[in-house]
Amino acid sequence: MALERNTISKLLIEILNEMGEDLEKPELTEADENTRLFGARSSLDSMNLVNFIAEIEERLSDDHEIDLTLANQSAMSRTHSPFRRVSSCVDYVMECIEEVSK
Amino acid sequence: MSQVAIVTGTRKGIGRAIAEHLLEQGWKVAGCSRRDADIESENYRHFNLDISDETAVIQMIRSIKREWGSVDALINNAGTAAMNHLLLTPTETCRSILETNLTGSFIFLRECAKLMTRQNGGRIINLSSIAAPLNLEGEAIYAASKAAIESLTRTAAKELGAHGITVNAIGPTPIDTDLIRTVPKEAIDKLISNQALPRIGTTADVINCVDFFLQDGSDFISGQTLYLGGVA
Repeated sequence: MALERNTISKLLIEILNEMGEDLEKPELTEADENTRLFGARSSLDSMNLVNFIAEIEERLSDDHEIDLTLANQSAMSRTHSPFRRVSSCVDYVMECIEEVSK
Repeated sequence: MSQVAIVTGTRKGIGRAIAEHLLEQGWKVAGCSRRDADIESENYRHFNLDISDETAVIQMIRSIKREWGSVDALINNAGTAAMNHLLLTPTETCRSILETNLTGSFIFLRECAKLMTRQNGGRIINLSSIAAPLNLEGEAIYAASKAAIESLTRTAAKELGAHGITVNAIGPTPIDTDLIRTVPKEAIDKLISNQALPRIGTTADVINCVDFFLQDGSDFISGQTLYLGGVA
């Protein structure tokens, strides 16, 4: 179950790239760890973000058999949302994986 | 290709009848209950779980997705009741009913909707009860939990409609299942006498509503609660 941070980062960026093509948003097809996931400077609207999070959960389940819920109490109660940028989201996914591996 | 339905509470009663009906109609069905069920079909998978156990529910749904590829319909049937005057209702009973009837249904709805959103379609049917609109005495928490289910149904219909997902509810009258077996006959008779159509319901009555919400032509119907027995 141990996944490298780099694997998660690639996964999230790959999902954003695919969303960029589907939504015809070129900035998402060039996403990197600094890409913003919500707020005025993000290319994602709230539903896009929901779909992005759901897609991460599904890929982790399908490809790595890791079943987790990212939108949990821990994420929602933080002062700084883990979903603000790709980099913070990658860190958060790593945390969640570590949690379910215990 | 067969469509895939998840039905909660399939060990007995309404849930079992719905699961068996859908299997007869050619669906693949995944069911769950706290204990084993004896539905025998190559197109049936059973999961022993408490529907308010988030981890177990997620594992069930992902397992079905891995095996069958999609979830086309969810019938949120599992529920519990405890008949008592509210002055005699323990807080723990209140928590337990809400946990099963509301939280459990919510978890299934949320997790199935995640899959359905990416499939661009799906049908979700929640089981309410006429206890909600009739504000039945002796069923304060049960009725409140079902009122919450109806509200959840309406809001979910709005949030998920853009993804081609319909969310509706069915409000059965008393039906001869274990759920009402401990209710005094006089109480049931009194309730039935207040219905426009004064008879006890059957599982076939509920199945008829399930079929209605699942049929292709019902793709423009969402956020509705359909009561049986002429209750409005």
